[in-house]
Parts: sequence; C-alpha cells; structure tokens
Amino acid sequence: MKQRTISTTPFALQITAKVAKWALLILYLIIALLPILWLIMSSFKSEFEIISSPLAFPTSLNFVNFINAIRISGLHRFFINSFIVTAFATTLNLFFCSLAAFAVAREEWRFKSSFLIFATAMVLIPIIAFMVPYYSLITTIGLYNTIWALVAVYTAINIPISMFIITNFMTAIPHELEDSALIDGCSFWQRFSKILVPLTVPGLVTAGTFTFIGCWNEFVYAMLLTSSQEVRTVQYAVRFFNSEFRDDYGGMFAAIVLTMIPTIVIYIFMHDKIVSGVTAGAVKE
Amino acid sequence: MKKGLFVCILAVLLFVVMPAFAGGTEEAAGGEVTITWPTHWVGEQGTGPIVEKMVSEFNEANAGEIKVVLEAHPEADAAEEVIRTRLAARQTPDFFLFKLGPSTRGYYDSNLLLDLTDELKKDGWGASFNPGALGVSTINGKVKSLPMENALTPVWYNKSLFDKAGVAEFPKDMNAFWAAAEKLKAIGVVPTSQMTGGANAWTSMLWFTHFLGSYGGPNAWELGWDDPAFEKAAAIMKRLYTDGNTTLDAIGAGPGESSAHYMNERTAMFINGPWFVANIRQNAPAVYKETVLTSAPAAGDYSGHQVGWLLTSAAAANTDDPARKAAVLDFFRYITSPESSKRRSIETGSLIPVQFEINPEDNIDPLQQQFIQAGNNATFLIDGIEAVMPVNVVQEFGQALSSMVLQDLSPKEFIELMKAAGN
Amino acid sequence: MKQKKRKQKNLIWIIIFILPVLILLTTFFVYPLISLVVTSLTEWDGISPMKFVGLRNYSDLFSNPIFRLSIKNNLIWAASAAFLQVPLALLIALVLRRKPAGWKFFRSAFFLPNIISLVALAMLWRAIYNPYYGILNGLLNVLGMEHLARHWLGELNTVLPSLIVSYQIYVGYFVIILFAGSLSISDTLYEASVIDGANVLQQELYITLPAMRGFIISSETLAVAFALRQFETTFLMTAGGPANATSVMALFMQKRLAAFQNGMAAATGVLLVILGIFVMKGLQTLFGMRSDAVEDAQQ
Repeated sequence: MKQRTISTTPFALQITAKVAKWALLILYLIIALLPILWLIMSSFKSEFEIISSPLAFPTSLNFVNFINAIRISGLHRFFINSFIVTAFATTLNLFFCSLAAFAVAREEWRFKSSFLIFATAMVLIPIIAFMVPYYSLITTIGLYNTIWALVAVYTAINIPISMFIITNFMTAIPHELEDSALIDGCSFWQRFSKILVPLTVPGLVTAGTFTFIGCWNEFVYAMLLTSSQEVRTVQYAVRFFNSEFRDDYGGMFAAIVLTMIPTIVIYIFMHDKIVSGVTAGAVKE
Repeated sequence: MKKGLFVCILAVLLFVVMPAFAGGTEEAAGGEVTITWPTHWVGEQGTGPIVEKMVSEFNEANAGEIKVVLEAHPEADAAEEVIRTRLAARQTPDFFLFKLGPSTRGYYDSNLLLDLTDELKKDGWGASFNPGALGVSTINGKVKSLPMENALTPVWYNKSLFDKAGVAEFPKDMNAFWAAAEKLKAIGVVPTSQMTGGANAWTSMLWFTHFLGSYGGPNAWELGWDDPAFEKAAAIMKRLYTDGNTTLDAIGAGPGESSAHYMNERTAMFINGPWFVANIRQNAPAVYKETVLTSAPAAGDYSGHQVGWLLTSAAAANTDDPARKAAVLDFFRYITSPESSKRRSIETGSLIPVQFEINPEDNIDPLQQQFIQAGNNATFLIDGIEAVMPVNVVQEFGQALSSMVLQDLSPKEFIELMKAAGN
Repeated sequence: MKQKKRKQKNLIWIIIFILPVLILLTTFFVYPLISLVVTSLTEWDGISPMKFVGLRNYSDLFSNPIFRLSIKNNLIWAASAAFLQVPLALLIALVLRRKPAGWKFFRSAFFLPNIISLVALAMLWRAIYNPYYGILNGLLNVLGMEHLARHWLGELNTVLPSLIVSYQIYVGYFVIILFAGSLSISDTLYEASVIDGANVLQQELYITLPAMRGFIISSETLAVAFALRQFETTFLMTAGGPANATSVMALFMQKRLAAFQNGMAAATGVLLVILGIFVMKGLQTLFGMRSDAVEDAQQ
C-alpha cells in the first residue's frame, strides 16, 4: 500500500496532501475530543460554576459530584438493567435484521424492493410521535413496567437503521463466492451463516454499535414504559439530579461520565472486532 | 439446515413468550389498596425529600390498608409527558399533579378524574383552602382537582448594586426606573436579567405581566390583546431589550443564563418565584443577603400589585370501587391538610393556598418571609400567562418578543404575532 | 423441475427470514403510523373525545407561516447533511482508509461525540457561542477579527448556520459507515492501477469512490433522514428561536404535542414522512440510482 503512494504521486502534491490530511485529522480530533474533556472537567465543578462560567477550569477539584452520583440508590441495579435491555435488544435486532437483510440482498422475490423501502423509510419518523400508541400497545400485551417492554421497543425502533446498513454490506459481497458455495451444496441457512455473516462482520458491528448506543442512551420510552425503580435504566440516574426549578449539572455530568464508561469500553472493543473481521474476510478472498 | 430453522424458531418464540417472563407488576396483598403517584416531586432538592417523608409516614399510619407508591420522574417536563400519555391512553394515574390552565380544562369534561365537589363539603375540607385558589379549581360548579402550590413572582433587586449606583430606593415610576437604569449602567452593571429562550421566556414573560397589570389592572388579561394595555407593556419590553438595559445574550437565553447573571451581579434586577430561594442561598450567598423583593414600578394607573397564580394542582383517577375511592380520598385529605401544607411550605418555601398558622418559632428563611410579605402587601394579583392562555400562545411569547427586538417590529406588530399564535 | 422446487423451497426460507422483522415493523411502525394518520384527521387534546375534522389540520398547517418556515429550514438541514456532513465524513474515511499513524485512535475518537448526552453537548455549544464567555468570540479576538465577534445564537442571520455547524460534530457516525464500507474494496483493484501509473487522487476518484457508491448513497440517505427528523439539537440549543428562525418540522410537532394539539401534531408527523420520502427519492435521482438498483451497481 505504501509503495503505490510513493511511486506515482508528484512530490509537491504529496506534501500538500500530507499537510491537508493532518490538518483535517487534527482539527477534527480537537472538535471531537472537546466535548468529552469538557464533560469530565465540568463534572468536578459546582452547579453554579457550570452555569456561570461553563468554559472555565474548576476552581478546585471536588469529587462531591461523583460521590453523589454513586450514592444514587440502586445505581448498580440501573446498570444491570441497562446491560440486560441493551444486550437483548442489540442481539435480537442484529439477528432479525441480518436475516431480513440477507433475504433482501441475496435473493430475488416479489415485493422485495417495496419491503426494503418500507423498512427503511421508517427512519424518518420522529419517534416521539408514537408515545400514545406505544404506551397502549405495551400495556395491552402486559409488558408495562418490565425490562422486556424496553427490549421489544428498542429492538423494533432500531430496525430501520440496522436493516439499511446490513443490507448495504450484504449487497456489496461479490456473487461468485456464494455461487461456489451453492455448487458445494450449501443450504439456504448455511449460505447465510457460513458465508454472508462472516463476510459482513464490519456491517454487523457498525449496526450493532449504533443500536447499542441508541438503546443505552434512550430516555423517553425508558421513562414512559417503566414505573418502578427495579426496572429503571441508567438514563434515570442521569436525570436524578434534575428537579422542577433547578438542574444540578455537576451531579448530572458526573452521572453521565459514569454511565458513559461502558459504552466507550464496548465501542472500542467492538471496533477491534471490525478489524479482525475484515482481516478474516480478506483471507478467505 | 435443521440447526438454522431451530435457531430462528427459538428466537421468535423467545420474543413471543416474553410476557411470561415479565415480573414487574406486583399483585396487591389482600385488601391493601395501592395508590401510585407518578411525580416529579422526588429527588434530593426542592419538594422531593419532604414529600417522600410525608408519604412514608402516611403508609406507616395506614399499614395493611393503603400504600402510596411514589413513581419517580425527576424531570418535570418528562413527568408531564408521561401523565399526558397515560390520560390519552385512558389509563389515568391514581394520583397526579398537573398545571390547570386553558389547555387542561378539558380534563374536567372527561370522566377520568374523581369528582371532589361533594367531598369538600364534608368536615370543612373545602374551607381549609384559600377561597380564591379553590375558585380557580371550580369549573362549571365541579371541583376535580385541588390547588397544591401558588406562584408569586415579585421583582428581585440587588440592594448593594443599587447603593453603589447611587439609587437610594427602588423606583416608583417608569421615569425613575429608566433613570436608575442609566445610573446602574454607569457603574458597569446591566439593569435587568431577561430571556426569550426556554419553553416560555420565563423571566421576560413575568416582566411583561407586571407592566400589563400596571396598565390594565387586576383583570388585564380579560381585556383581550387589542386593549392598549398590551401594546404599552410590549413597548416597555422592547426598551428593556435595547440600549444595554439587559445582557448581550438575552435573546435566546434560557433560565440558566438569566439567573446566573443575577447571581454573578452582572445584572441588578431579576424576577422569579420562591422556589429559587434555596438555589441563590446556596450558590450566591452574598447576593442572597442583598436581595430585596418589591413590586414593579408603576407604568400605568395601577401599582403595588404582584404576579401570582395557581401553579400546581393535584387530581385523582375516577373509580367505582368504594374501598379505592375511600383510600384515595384519605390520601388526598392528608396531603392537602393544613399540617402537611405547613410542613411542605416551611421545608421548601412554596406558597401553598391552604390556611395555616405560622409561628415565630417556625424559623422561616428571611427571603421566604419577604415572599409572604410581598403576597400580603400586594394591592392585587395578576395571573401569569400560563394560567390564562393556552399553551400554544405561551410558547410563542418568546418568539414574538425576539421578533420584535431583532426585526425592529412595533409593539403593535408584536401584539399581532401573539394574536396569530392563538388562532 | 428441480430448479422450480428449489425456488419454492427458497421462498419458504425467505418468508422465515423476513418474518420477525415484518412482525416487528407491523407492530411498532405500521400500527402507530395508521393511528398517526387517523389522528391527523381529528382535533384532539389528548383527553376529550376525538373530533373528526377532515383535512383541516393540513390546510391550517400550510397557511401557518411558522410551519412553512419549518419546511424551508428542514430542506436546509437536509441539504447540509447531503452536501456538507457526508462529504466531510467521506473525506475523513478516505484519509483513515490509508491507515495513517494512529488511525485506530482517530477512528475511535471521532465517534465519541455520538456517545455523549445531547443535553451536555447542547450546553457546551451554547457556551461556545455565548457572547460573554464563548470560545468562538475569544478565538476571533485573539486572531484580531473582533469585528466578526457577535451573539451567534441571538442573531437572525447567524443562528441557523451556527446550529448546523454544531451538528457537524456527529460526522463520526458516517465516518464509521463509510470507513467500514471502504474496507470491503478488494486490494487487487489498486494493484492494477499502480501499474497503470495512477496517482492517489486518480485512485480515489476512479476506484475508491465508484466502489463505495452504495455506501455513499446509504450514508447520504441516512444522514438526510436524521437531519430531517432532528429536533433535539434545535430544541436544546434555541427551542426554535429567536423569532422562530430555527424552527423545524419535528420541533413544530413536539410543540403541538406540548400544546395539547395532537391532531395538528400528527398531521405534521405525516407531512414530515411524506417530505422525507420525496427528498430521499430526489437524492436517489441525483445519484442516478433507483432504490432497487443499488444491487446492480454493485455487480
């Protein structure tokens, strides 16, 4: 790879490209890291320091916000609930969507393009429009105030995006690979599980990451569809410091920092998977 | 292939039988009535601690018979959405708080709320409330909600900044007010905190209402937008937004910015209710000590009034079950009783439209005492906009105000924008 | 004969494969969507009985200047996603694809803003744009451009651009999709081009971009859909103001819901979906693709 850039590109262009490249990367890196650094910095500040001089450094490092955040009763429970909900919803969502995406991307059938358009056009709907129908639905099927209500809703509302991404990746796989598998006598299921899924790991991980983060950060339905502390998720903890006329941003930011740690860890872990997945795919080719 | 089919079926089955795993809903133990109260009155600030304490005391006293379960929704807006969604789905919460206003009067027409009219006549329950507030809660002769908290929003000013600027006393009329504003500016202090942002441009909306009351008197809102009082009050607002009479970021500012400017002594005047006392006492003790509450300067014929209205009401779900109804009424009586109201008021500084005695030994915060005095001294009270206008009009106040300032519209054009919002 | 039997058998498999998604979509999208359409034909405060009013909500909406402004702003948002956000993401993805030093770190870092709570991000941006303590004005002062310093979120001609610029912090979302997509391009394509004497720019233009066409189109579609339905950023930063200058359809809908105008809110939602379908179709025409032709292009 390195060889080809050196061999055929004029020197001046190389230098310009290099400068432009690093300028772009570093500028965007600053923009991308600023929020998280600010968030961490602010979580050491007092409520008043945050609203009166939000960009200033904390006058003293106080850990009281973190202590308050950890003290929220049942914090570990919220984490466990969030993990269960997110893990189930992400797994189910990925499994169902990859099945459907396989049928759309690799098979010929009537209504298939209508099905794809139908599935993906739902991306457009602002989900707050559905509060009343979802509440009625969940109470009718008896899932109200259970984590399964959240699993069901999160699995469903992330379908459009996941379908979109996975279908895209599955479509991009050359047909020759599958044809040879057909000759080898692979069944429908084996074509899916042995050939397409391993080759589209980057797509699955991408969709999975988005679903995971979407579930972890969802707040509106988490509050609408649950009522007791036993089934609440971490987003409740993030809002714990708000009250009618006063928002304690210090406590809130400390809670956000704590609840973000799992997403960052999982995100980095999942993305290493992308790389190994791609390498595996390349070897087969 | 068999394996594949199996995995598929298993996944679908898992999804279908999920309700079977559902373990959240608890069955009430024999005879005990459970009342769930989804509320934003929770958490460690404001009304949360005292309400939690009172509910647990009630549960203890009624052990085995009634159990009130607080369902925590710390964010007030989110709590409102949840309650509204449940009402729309015809699943009224057992007990809940809401804002009674033109947009929510429809609650009374439905059959979903418990009718309290006859109950209030028993044992002097109705007589314990402030008659004005109870009157607001009576629609077509029916009472289906009870007043829980009043808003009172006098003008706050920083005495030491006024002294530094050489303004000996708070201006009584508008000439004196603008003169004081110039003196404040001369020492580098911005006269007023204003904001057009947030859900309802809170601080500026209250300034406007003070001046509206001064021009139009106690029933100013009923005069309608075409009355000159509205245009005149709007003209003052426009001037407050120009010539450095408010902060540079007032257009688009939210409650955070507008109150922070006052607490930082960047501004000398501000408007808010008693709920802000704890915040300023904790975060800006110096400003807290220098704060004096007053009524707005007289702009028109009326003066000495305050802006105050019924802020929060409570209602219960209608029920045919006599045991449940009795339990809900028990709790309703308990939470609105003079004792409970007094405890809540002393703890949080809220003004509660229930009659109770305050003794010197109750040790009330000085700024809270100023609130009580401001309420008692007021020549009359004028409602805040949210009590008299539907939400779609309230939402447009900040937008119309910023239009007037940014596009240099006349006060009359501002009024036209507000009228259009109501259509 | 054997062929036909295989096809029939495949059909059963296809049905099994799409069934879960179909059930979930029907339950969680079709049913609510129908109820949305029905509600849009009524006047309903969320508690009194629904009153059927025909298409009145729709005609009211089109005669409302704030709603018309919201449509215009929605189109500006959509254009910013299509012509600013995704191209920027593509550029970054192409740079990362060549695996410069620290590319793994960059890739992870760029995605971070997508994890952070919207409330916190909005507060940060409001602080950056603030005329008293904002970094932006501070930076302009340091650079000797004091005359450009202003109240970014409080002036009619800067507020919408300021919002759209702040939204570009989410570019990382599409960097991830495009970067992952670019990895599926076979290296053999490049080997041939090196022999032909192509330079980096030519390689990207004639090999990478055409090969990534499907991913670019799907990123464009997703980005435009997100931009059309976004209201959280607007709500938290300006609440649609000042003077409604930043109002968008989804925020308009949220405000109607808050004002107990459920029928009007539903009609706004329906119009948003319709507008979105038109914009997406337009986008596909622009890229010379029919939705079902994605596959053909890949082959």
